[in-house]
Amino acid sequence: MTAPRPDETDIYLPRPATLIETESLTAHERFFRFEMDAGVELSYRPGQFLEISMPGFGECPISISSAPSAGGDRGFELVVRRVGNVTRALHGLEPGDRIGVRGPFGAPFPVEDALTGHDLLFICGGLGLVPLRSAINYVLNRRDDYGEVTVLLGARTPADRLFTRELYAWKLRDDLVLEETVDAADPSWGAHVGVITKLIPRLKLAPENTRALICGPPIMYRFVLKELEKQGMSAEHIYLSLERRMKCGVGKCGHCQINGLYTCRQGPVFKYADIAAVREAI
Amino acid sequence: MRTATIQKSDLGKAIDLLVQADLRVIAPRLQPRLEEDGPDAIDVLTLVEVKSGENHQVGEGLLPLNGVKEFLFAKHEPLFAYEKRGKKIDIIPVHHEYPRTVIVGVRPCDAASIASLNAVFSDANAGFEDPFFTRRRERTTIVTYSCTAPDASCFCTSVDLAPDSSRGSDLHFTEIGGDLIHVEVLTEAGEAIANLLESLLEGEGDQQQREKAGAAVKEKLTRIRDAAPIKDWLDNLDNFDDEMWERLGEKCIGCGSCTFLCPTCHCFDIVDENKGSKGYRVKFWDSCQFDHFTLHASGHNPRDWQYKRYRNRFNCKFKIYPEKFEQQGCVGCGRCIRGCPVNLDITEYMAEVAAKAAG
Repeated sequence: MTAPRPDETDIYLPRPATLIETESLTAHERFFRFEMDAGVELSYRPGQFLEISMPGFGECPISISSAPSAGGDRGFELVVRRVGNVTRALHGLEPGDRIGVRGPFGAPFPVEDALTGHDLLFICGGLGLVPLRSAINYVLNRRDDYGEVTVLLGARTPADRLFTRELYAWKLRDDLVLEETVDAADPSWGAHVGVITKLIPRLKLAPENTRALICGPPIMYRFVLKELEKQGMSAEHIYLSLERRMKCGVGKCGHCQINGLYTCRQGPVFKYADIAAVREAI
Repeated sequence: MRTATIQKSDLGKAIDLLVQADLRVIAPRLQPRLEEDGPDAIDVLTLVEVKSGENHQVGEGLLPLNGVKEFLFAKHEPLFAYEKRGKKIDIIPVHHEYPRTVIVGVRPCDAASIASLNAVFSDANAGFEDPFFTRRRERTTIVTYSCTAPDASCFCTSVDLAPDSSRGSDLHFTEIGGDLIHVEVLTEAGEAIANLLESLLEGEGDQQQREKAGAAVKEKLTRIRDAAPIKDWLDNLDNFDDEMWERLGEKCIGCGSCTFLCPTCHCFDIVDENKGSKGYRVKFWDSCQFDHFTLHASGHNPRDWQYKRYRNRFNCKFKIYPEKFEQQGCVGCGRCIRGCPVNLDITEYMAEVAAKAAG
C-alpha cells in the first residue's frame, strides 16, 4: 500500500506493511513476518492485537506473536488460522506482498510491572500460544527479572502444535519448564494426553508468588480458572486474553462489548479479578 | 439566552431564509420513503433535505420515521478507497462533505439522543475520535419543536425527558396557542440561526405561557413507567439470570428493527465493497441483535441465543450507557415499539423490572 496522507479518517486508515517471510506451521495455520514501511514505526507490547487489512477482502483482528523489538521498530510476527475471507487471502500472500495495519490496540499483559519478580505460569490452549509467545519471549529476553517460568501447552493432536522448533529450544532450556499435552495422541507422542487442566495439579506452584497468563479456546477458561483457584491462586494474579469479534479496535463499533467492557480497549488482556463478576465474559 | 415569538404560518418563510443563507436545511416532510416509489406510494413523515419552505411539516405529525442520527452518523459511508495494481495497493482518501446544516423541527427525544451518540464517537471515549461524527456534529445546529400530540408509544417522561424538553437543542420552539410559537435561543449556534430569522421574530416570549403549554402536553402521555429502579435492578447481577429474559427472547425475532430505528444505538460494521481490483472500505450501521454480530471465526458465539442479545440491548440502554458514558441510553421516543414486527414493547419490560425491583 502507498502511505495514505494524514487525513480525517485517521482512526480507520491502515498503514502499509510488507510480507518478509511466511511459513506453514500446520495444515491450517501459517506464520508471517511483516515489516512496516520505512519511517512507519510499530511499537507494541505482548498481548496487543492489530487490525490486519487485505483490501478487497476486509479487515480482521490478529494477535501479535512476536516479542516487542524482536523485529526492530518495524517488524512483527503473526500466526493466522485460515477460517474466513481475510485469513484465506492472507494465506495466499507471498514475500513482497503488501497488507495494511491498524493498531496496536488493547491492553497488554503487564510484563513490565505487575509480573516482574514473580513466578510465571503460561497456560496456552491451541492458538492461545500465539499471543502468549510474545509474552514468553519477552520474559526469556529478560530472564533475570522473573522467577520460575512454566509453560503449559495444549494442542488437539501432535500435528496441530505450533512453533515446534521453538518449543524444542524451550525444552532444552534449564530456566523454563515446558509441559505439553494433546487431546488425541499418535504413536510418536511421548508427552501427556488429555485436557490441559490435568497438568496444573502436577506443578509445584507457589500460589502466592505465581502469576498466571492464560489464552486458549473459550471452553478452556472456566476449567483452568477453577483449577487455579483450587491451587490457591488469587483472581488478582491471573491474567487472561479474551477473544471477541473486534472490528474498529477503538471502542466505537460495539462488536466486542461485554456488558460495560470493550474487549478492544479494556482487554483483550484482563485481570481475572476485574471480570470475574462480568457476565458473558467467560 | 433570549426569547422571542414567531408565527407558525411563517415557518415556511423561515426555512426559505435558512436555505438562502446557504445552509443545508433538514426538515420533516410527508413523502414517499423513496422518490422512486412514485406518486401512489404511501407518504411517510421523514426528515429530508428541503430546498425551500414550500413543502414541509415542521411542527406537524409526531416523529419522523428516521431520527437525526443518520445526519450525524451515516447509515453507510466510505472510509477510503483502494486500488490494487499488481503488488501495489493504493489507499485513496475519500473526500467527505460536511456542509453547515440546520435540522428544523427536531423532537425533544431525538435532540436529547445526540449527547448519547457524542459520548461514544467523540474522543471523550477512550481518546479516539470518529471524525465523521464529530465534524458533522460541529457543523449541525438543532432547532427543536415541542411535541403537541404524543402518541400511545411515546414514553419520554419515563426517562427523565418531556414533550417540551430542550436538552440538546440550540433553538427551541413551543406552540403557545393560536398561530404563535415561543422561541428560546439556547446556544451561540442557536443565536446565529435566530439572527437569520430576525425579520420573522417578534418581541419577547412569555416563558410562563410556554411552561404551561408544555405541561399541558405532558398530561397527554399515557405510557408512564418508572425507569428509576431499573438500573439498580440490573446492577444486581443475579438478575442477569432472571426468567424474564428468556421469556422476552422467545418473542423477539432478532430482526434488528429496534436498533436501526433507535436514536442512540450506535453499533456499526466495517467491510470492503469490492469491484474487480478496486473498491471502498465502508462503515455502516450494524445491530447487536444479529447472531453474527458477536460470532467468532471459530464458530463460538458469546451471545448465542436471541434472549441474550435482547438482554444485551436492554442492559445497554439502562445500565451500560448511564454507567460507561454517563448518558441516557433511552430517550423514550417509542420508535422501537411502533416499528417492532412482533409487538415487543420495551416499556412492558421496564414496568416488569420496576415491579420486580419493588419486590
